[in-house]
Amino acid sequence: MSSAVLVLDRVTKRFAGHTAVDGLSLSVPRGVIYGLLGPNGAGKTTTIRMIMDIIEPDEGSVRLFGEPGTGREHSARVGYLPEERGLYRKMRVLDLIVFLAEMKGVERRRAGAQAAAWLERLGLGAWRWRRVDELSKGMQQKVQFISTILHQPELVVLDEPFAGLDPVNTQVMKDAVLELRRDGVTILFSTHIMEQAEKLCDQLCIIARGRKLVDGAVADIKRTQTGHHLVIGFDGAPGAAAQLFADKRVVRKLDDYGQYAELELAPDADPQRLLAALVSSGARLARFELSEPSLHKIFIDLVGPEAATPEARPHPGGPRA
Amino acid sequence: MRKIWAVIRREFVERIRSKWFWFSALLGPVFFGAMIVVPVLFAGAGGTRRIAVVDATTGAFGERVAAGLRHGKIFRATRVPAGAGVVDSLTQLVGAKQLDGFLILTDAVVETGTAEYRASNVSSFRDVAELQDVLARLAMAARLERQGVDPALVGRAQLRISLETKKISGSTTTGESAAQSFALAYVMGVVLFLVITIYGVNVMGSVVEEKTTRIVEVLVSSLRPFQLMMGKVLGVGAVSLFQFVLWGLGAKLLLSQRRALLADLGGVEEARQVFQMPHLTAATLGVFLSYFLGGFFLYSAMYAAVGAMSSNEQEARQAQQPVMFLLLVAYVSMFGLTNNPESTYAVTLSLIPFTAPIAMPVRWAASTVPAGELGASLGLLAAGIVAVTWMAARIYRVGILMTGKRPNIKELVRWIRAG
Repeated sequence: MSSAVLVLDRVTKRFAGHTAVDGLSLSVPRGVIYGLLGPNGAGKTTTIRMIMDIIEPDEGSVRLFGEPGTGREHSARVGYLPEERGLYRKMRVLDLIVFLAEMKGVERRRAGAQAAAWLERLGLGAWRWRRVDELSKGMQQKVQFISTILHQPELVVLDEPFAGLDPVNTQVMKDAVLELRRDGVTILFSTHIMEQAEKLCDQLCIIARGRKLVDGAVADIKRTQTGHHLVIGFDGAPGAAAQLFADKRVVRKLDDYGQYAELELAPDADPQRLLAALVSSGARLARFELSEPSLHKIFIDLVGPEAATPEARPHPGGPRA
Repeated sequence: MRKIWAVIRREFVERIRSKWFWFSALLGPVFFGAMIVVPVLFAGAGGTRRIAVVDATTGAFGERVAAGLRHGKIFRATRVPAGAGVVDSLTQLVGAKQLDGFLILTDAVVETGTAEYRASNVSSFRDVAELQDVLARLAMAARLERQGVDPALVGRAQLRISLETKKISGSTTTGESAAQSFALAYVMGVVLFLVITIYGVNVMGSVVEEKTTRIVEVLVSSLRPFQLMMGKVLGVGAVSLFQFVLWGLGAKLLLSQRRALLADLGGVEEARQVFQMPHLTAATLGVFLSYFLGGFFLYSAMYAAVGAMSSNEQEARQAQQPVMFLLLVAYVSMFGLTNNPESTYAVTLSLIPFTAPIAMPVRWAASTVPAGELGASLGLLAAGIVAVTWMAARIYRVGILMTGKRPNIKELVRWIRAG
């Protein structure tokens, strides 16, 4: 896929005694919000660290922007917010943002001007000469976010961006992510909170124990994984409903009450075509409701309850997965 | 390269801004000033002792000793004839601090050379040396006179010798005395030990901070761990050099004001005798700075590795003890090094990279080091820096991303091998 911003090809990373990431392949198209989902210890952070070139994969390759070169060589085009974030506590806010921007190759003077503008925009203008440890936690999170995107990256990688945020800051972070996408930035973020991912992601990849379980567009995943759940209410005339429902290629499970039916579609069946067929056969519908299974349910189905609770780490000294 | 430069600048600027830096910048010259002033104060007014000379001798020997002691600068001696209860009452006077002590003289001084000094303070070498000197001289004169030697002849025979020491450096004689050489060597050793340790620990703290805050992940995703480590070491190193410059300027200023300072204390002549500025040549300064930089690079690489393998400040403080111990070996050997700078032990210490940063400058200041030895020592130090930095960088690279328990030796070896 030439438009892919990020392609992982059969990436494997082993640490003493266990395999953190096992033959993982995925592709992140340009301009989407991409979720990397998995229970704790699934290998999300290790995957992200390999994308960021912080650690090297033992096997497989990571390709950014469809171009050769390591993540470090592309670092000016990537923004990264690690999990369990912190800042230099004794540094002044503006100096800190400028320093981190310099690390991304932004020229010092330009970084200073942009940092000041961003601080102003997020209501921290008066705090720019204060030391980081004088800021509240919420303010520090804003500072972190500024330093992640100040160099105007094309790809932003966020490791558990919503972990530890209060509801207000969760909202702020969500708005910021959506705004980035509006500006054409590709966002990859990891999370173990399914509701968040379901609302935000265009595409996602679910991993557990270092292996990919499923990936793709959110709607496709929902359909291919469990098929659609459909509720139909008739307004007198059912038309050719009985024949249509009998087609096993379309309907997998049926619970027909005459004027009311609940059915589960086959994985490849298209509910829109069923609707068209019903209407053209003369059925009058009072209700046609697609109810999708939640991502949470898919996740539990796929991962299994035993993987949702991470196994004991074989090596406490090893890096977090 | 620009990124390394940014790391260097951050380390430098943030440290220069701290109160701690300026506090120690000021403290250096104050310490230096104290080194000039304190000996003068000791040599001055506070130094006289009031003593009694308990005279149980037959003849005028007691009076001669009292006079002889009075002639010196240390004692104000009064002759007291021996009698019942005299020792007890004098002891009480010493207890009441009206007297510093008393000397008990019997004929045994001249006959067998024994006397007794009781005082509240008997640990002053200067006091005891003066007493022994006066007693020995007078006892010898008394014995000679008893044998019928002319007192004038005795006086001439007892001509005292003042031994002037001057150090030969290379093939030129410097104006340096033994005491000055020793002082210079000692001060250099102490300063090297302190500054290498302090700034090494600074590097370690910086590594631990980045690790615990996870900033290191952001940094390492845009520059290599080795570049980050080098930037850190160079930045902190620059701070330490700046510190030296400030100390140098402060010392220079103090020295130029030394006369005025000492005049205020009222003892210019005495002060001259007590403290003379050691002769600091360009070569000595060069050796000092080379070994400081070498030692700093060697040790800060180790400190960086220690920081990387620890997950918090406390753990790091414990883990640094073996590193500190290496440097301590040279530090505690300093007296041996100055006393016997040519011994096998001293030469060995000044060749081993871990001890050379302190041992070689100390030897250099205390004696004349052959150029070959200096070259070998510097060469070994350079090789040591390369090897240690290589290993430290590998530990650093793995360690900064680790959490959980500290690695044991076996795991460390695996870290070094991996990659």
